[in-house]
Amino acid sequence: MSSFLEYVPGDSMLHRLNPVAKLGAAALFAVACFCSGSLAFLAVLLAAGFLLAASCGMVRQTLGLARAVLAFSLVLAVVQLLTTPAGAQLAPLPWGYIGTGGLLAALTTVVRLVAAAIPLFLVFYATKLNDLTNAAVKVLRVPYRYAFAFTSTVRFIPVFMNDMKGIMEAQTARGVEFDTGGMVKKARLMVPLCVPLLVSSVRKTNSAAIAAEVRGFNLRTVDSGYKGYPLAVRDVAALAACALLVAVSVALGAAG
Amino acid sequence: MIEFKDVRASYERSLPILKGVSFAIRDGEFVAFAGTNGAGKSTAMRLVNGLLKPDAGEVLIDGVPTTALRTSELARRVGFLFQNPDRQICCSTVREELLFGFRALGAADADAEARVDAVIEEFGFAPDDDPFLLNRGARQLLALASVAVLEPSVLVLDEPTTGLDFRECEKVMGIVRGIHARGATVVMVCHDMEVVADYAKRCIVMSDGRVVADGPVFEVLRDHAVLGRASLVPPQIVDISLVLAAESPRLAGTPVARANTVEEMVEAVAAEAGRAGAGAGEVAGEAGVAAAGGAAGEGARRGHCASVRASKSRRVP
Repeated sequence: MSSFLEYVPGDSMLHRLNPVAKLGAAALFAVACFCSGSLAFLAVLLAAGFLLAASCGMVRQTLGLARAVLAFSLVLAVVQLLTTPAGAQLAPLPWGYIGTGGLLAALTTVVRLVAAAIPLFLVFYATKLNDLTNAAVKVLRVPYRYAFAFTSTVRFIPVFMNDMKGIMEAQTARGVEFDTGGMVKKARLMVPLCVPLLVSSVRKTNSAAIAAEVRGFNLRTVDSGYKGYPLAVRDVAALAACALLVAVSVALGAAG
Repeated sequence: MIEFKDVRASYERSLPILKGVSFAIRDGEFVAFAGTNGAGKSTAMRLVNGLLKPDAGEVLIDGVPTTALRTSELARRVGFLFQNPDRQICCSTVREELLFGFRALGAADADAEARVDAVIEEFGFAPDDDPFLLNRGARQLLALASVAVLEPSVLVLDEPTTGLDFRECEKVMGIVRGIHARGATVVMVCHDMEVVADYAKRCIVMSDGRVVADGPVFEVLRDHAVLGRASLVPPQIVDISLVLAAESPRLAGTPVARANTVEEMVEAVAAEAGRAGAGAGEVAGEAGVAAAGGAAGEGARRGHCASVRASKSRRVP
């Protein structure tokens, strides 16, 4: 079973796309989500994201991701709901009111964030990080050290999540009650855990840097990799389709 | 009392790790779990303190199923030392670290302060030291101290000597022995069979999620067939005793050598073998050489009184 953002092998269309095309298309898809305020259009984009996930057999991972983004976006939605007094009044507040306009804006925020996140995360599930790094170096001419730093950051996320889980287990075994109380209590209990996580991450990062250094990290150039990443017709088509989505989104936004 | 009744367990209901494990550990026992990586030892330990709940079967602590208790409640009875102390340590001073468990359990009173002071004294810590600046052995010792200070009735150790040098290993295990002597039940996962032989009284061998041997340490360690199934190698001292017993049945079941140094060991074994006859003399020579280079020598260097008890069970292959 793969962990968060860890490559899942497969032979879907998304898997076969050029890594740079995948990244570019996902970025365009996200831009399309942010250019339009139309809830219907965003719902279509959200459905497209889930269809894409289904096409590469990653519905389970996508649902997990959607839940995580939903939790985060709900916080933003609540803030928006309380600070955007628009439309018909639903409930009065000391500083304004909760209105239908605010409710629609909050709902739009939630759908937008979830829809924008899905393709971006699917890129990581459907692409080997080595391919992503090498393609960025070969196709986009990004200096290797920056491409490596980016993919290493992604690579370390599941590692740190695993570390955090281990640290929480260790503290639970000492009597810390993560399993009771509300959000505030849990947040307060999490603060001391940041120290061992920070220490562990600094140690791991340092070890990884030394390991890369002793294997000739600084000697690597654009020509060091033998594998090429030429753009195929399907890659151009994917980019064009996402560019079209941006155009539609901008048009819808302009139309109001 | 810790009881496992036909326990089956897995992580997130995926790959089964424990496939029907049953055993009981009485109060005050010192039990070592041995076996290859992936045999299910650490999983069994996580079931003891409730970090993992069984998929089927029951884990009982003093007659209460772990499923009926929260892990934080179990922490009062079961102390757990993790293999990696850095996951456990989270405070800025040694003293704070030792008090952390009391605070988590809501018991940071004057009595707790007194116990922390006593543990600082016993372990030889400087109370204001930064735990993260201590060396690996000292951090492991601090992690052990932070568990021991709560005086749990059961102490679970998951590979407590991994990554420690000989001196650090001796110190950690010496303290564990002291905690056991004060009445605590000690359950330890350990890959070092020398440590198992030196400290544990009972050994449970696991392989592929099942218990394949369970008995007194020496009885388990001399069973090469079982150890082979679990890819374990017994300490050389066990082999020496088996060779002596096979060559000299007169010695079976009796202490034949007692020594504090390698040289004393060699001399004692040779003298006894000389009394037993020429045939056994050759064996004693071999045993002496083995002792000098292996487990007995190690034991002697540790300052322990190494002894060889001849076994009449079987000859070493």
